[in-house]
Amino acid sequence: MQNTVSKQRLDSLKKVVSNNSIVLVVIAMIIAGTIAEGSQFLSFQNFMNILRNHAVIGIIALGMSFVIISGNIDLSVGAQMVAVAAITVSFVNNTGNVVLGLILGILAGCAMSTITGIIVTKGRVPSFIVTLGMMYIYRSLCMFYMQGGGFYLDKTKAPFYIQISNYMLFGKIPMPVVYYAVMFVLFWFISKYTKIGRHIYAVGSNEKATRLSGINTDRVKVLAYTLLGLAISVAAIVESSRMGSINSTSSGNAYELNAIAMTVIGGISMEGGKGRISGALWGMLILGIINNMITLLGVNVYLINAFKGVIIIAAVLLQRKDREL
Amino acid sequence: MEKFSLQMKDIVKSYSGVTVLKGVSLNVRQGEIHALLGENGAGKTTLMNILGGVVPKDSGEIYLFGEPARISSPADSQALGIAFIHQELNVVNDLRVYENLFLGRELHRKNGMLDAKKMCEETAKIFSKMNVSIDPRAMMRDLETSYKQIVEIAKALLMDARLIIMDEPTTSLTQKEIDNVFNIIRGLTRDHDVTVIFISHKLGEVVDFCDSYTVLRNGENVASGSITQPDGTKINQADLARMMVGKDVLNQQVYEEREIGRVLLEVRDLTVGNRVKGVSFTLREGEILGITGLLGDGKDEMVRALFGDLRHTGTVLKDGKPLTVRHPSHAKKLGIGFLPPNRKENAIIKDLSVQDNINITVLEKCRRGIRLCRKKERTIAGEFVEKLRIKTDSLFCKITSLSGGNQQKCVLSKWLNAKPDVMIMSNPTQGVDVGAKNEIYTEIMKLARQKIGIIVTSGEAQEIIRLCDRCLVMYHGELRGELSRDQLTEENIMILSTGGSLN
Repeated sequence: MQNTVSKQRLDSLKKVVSNNSIVLVVIAMIIAGTIAEGSQFLSFQNFMNILRNHAVIGIIALGMSFVIISGNIDLSVGAQMVAVAAITVSFVNNTGNVVLGLILGILAGCAMSTITGIIVTKGRVPSFIVTLGMMYIYRSLCMFYMQGGGFYLDKTKAPFYIQISNYMLFGKIPMPVVYYAVMFVLFWFISKYTKIGRHIYAVGSNEKATRLSGINTDRVKVLAYTLLGLAISVAAIVESSRMGSINSTSSGNAYELNAIAMTVIGGISMEGGKGRISGALWGMLILGIINNMITLLGVNVYLINAFKGVIIIAAVLLQRKDREL
Repeated sequence: MEKFSLQMKDIVKSYSGVTVLKGVSLNVRQGEIHALLGENGAGKTTLMNILGGVVPKDSGEIYLFGEPARISSPADSQALGIAFIHQELNVVNDLRVYENLFLGRELHRKNGMLDAKKMCEETAKIFSKMNVSIDPRAMMRDLETSYKQIVEIAKALLMDARLIIMDEPTTSLTQKEIDNVFNIIRGLTRDHDVTVIFISHKLGEVVDFCDSYTVLRNGENVASGSITQPDGTKINQADLARMMVGKDVLNQQVYEEREIGRVLLEVRDLTVGNRVKGVSFTLREGEILGITGLLGDGKDEMVRALFGDLRHTGTVLKDGKPLTVRHPSHAKKLGIGFLPPNRKENAIIKDLSVQDNINITVLEKCRRGIRLCRKKERTIAGEFVEKLRIKTDSLFCKITSLSGGNQQKCVLSKWLNAKPDVMIMSNPTQGVDVGAKNEIYTEIMKLARQKIGIIVTSGEAQEIIRLCDRCLVMYHGELRGELSRDQLTEENIMILSTGGSLN
């Protein structure tokens, strides 16, 4: 009797461990970092740094999660972020009206992604192709609009805009971290507690069955893109405020790949239908900690991406076990 | 003495404890076209799979051209001169005819390059043997369907096949094309000593083209003999149908008399491409209307169109008001539910739990404010699990962990949850064991008593007979006839669905 109870406990413990293996990976990395670098690594300051440096891509990864769970992909997020930032910054520079600029930026970002979603669903073109095209279009239009250079914030006209990202909450928490937290809670709530969230999982898992359950699957897929658009807009505002500028060639490069890496490391399956939003958080932490440790350890920076590559493949290999044969 | 191409004796085969072939014998004379008949599930496919080396037999003997044969893999079967031609064409449309013929067995020149010239010559040789003229260099996609079928036969001949098994080869062909294919087969059996086993549900063709027949039912031999009877007349289609169906199939009474109400749904001239051609019918409150027919009859397309899943023309009136249903989501709002065929592909959302699958149609009912309320979700799904006796460890198990019957009950729950007035069910007991089958039938009866109008489409005549108040029979996209409950017999259904007419 005693034996079966303890066996049951062991089983449920095993289940908890295997369901949360990614959290253990993060904990293991933190321990490793602490052993290697001690207090330089394990400090509040350092962790705020990691989070601040990865908040922008992390926010995009939250939105990317929805699109990937719905069975699609978006390669245009980096270029689209630059486009949204360019629109916002030039509006703020010209009018000095920050609030209106933010609203405009968010609306523009959502609209762009919605258009992408509509082309994917109504045109029945694979999302990889559509968003590859969109990536070129946004990037090229930005370069044309900004003449190959960048826009700098007019600090005299809109001093508040700079504060959006550079203000420290309670004097020690960088605002990008706060925005990430807010976006995370919002997206986590949507994925777990709303009808659209449930429908996104259903569409990614079996689109045909979802459609035959009387659900407008095209609408669901477009809405997943719109949510990504919201995330991109927030990321664009945070990025442009933090840098005080946005550049048509150097901003947002490879953000799409980093965002996809975060979701994939976090266990969100490219097949769709599987994975939790919290995975995008763990994915961001893992990438962040790797980047941070490499810097602290003084490893050649050219090797960072090799480590990233190994981690991405290893993460997916580890998560394969729960797939049925 | 008669020469036999194939003799199968006392073949027994069981799958996980269920015996599907109970000592079946099949004797095919050399140079004949032999029809292998039986309902779905009679054991035809298993028998042919044993011959093809796809599944091993449990016991029994096989003689090929007089010699005992051991067939343990598809390669063995091919080496012994057996070729299969399946219902779906196995051709690559983007290759040329000769490339298709030699696919996987390409001829090479000494330098390793493909010898296209030789392959074309060989192809032409085989075509001349078959008395057809097809350009070996033509693109496969440019050929019409019957010629594609003929290329498949040529492929079999190229492999020196002497016994060709054709599994419902004519379902996708027009009458003219069918004649064409049969003339060529006839020529081969007459002049080149090829034997053909022909599996078909179209009894008209069987009587017209075949020499002899074997009928299987529930894994046993029922009858065999010549199509042309001793008195010189050909065997009657209805007799064949009766042999296929048998009489001892009804076991448990599920049907009960009900009051049937006013007209709920009226369909006029429903057309879907060229697959459903102007079908009209009505459905009343509390009525169970069966729609049946053989493969390719258009019944599935028709109900999918009704549910808004396929583009269609025609008028649909519900409660006398015309409806436009362009998407399943419209259908759901208008009170039409649809239990689709092929559960795994069309109905199961595999990554979601039992509870989430049951509630997917009615999430708005589970809301408190803007958020979904876990407690409400649990209550609603729990009710169905209890009511339909769905066997599951918990509401949070993945739906794929359930047995077929229980999965089907979840799918049914999903629609009962949406409270439709019209419920369409396609093959409601597909892949469901006998026990769960009866439970689902009982549930359908219950729905009918609640004044829901029910359409059941099924290829299983027994299902229709056990459930329906009335039955429409379709043939090639058209309504072939309507049977009232007292006319509902398997013979009548079989006659109408093979293109015949009553009396």
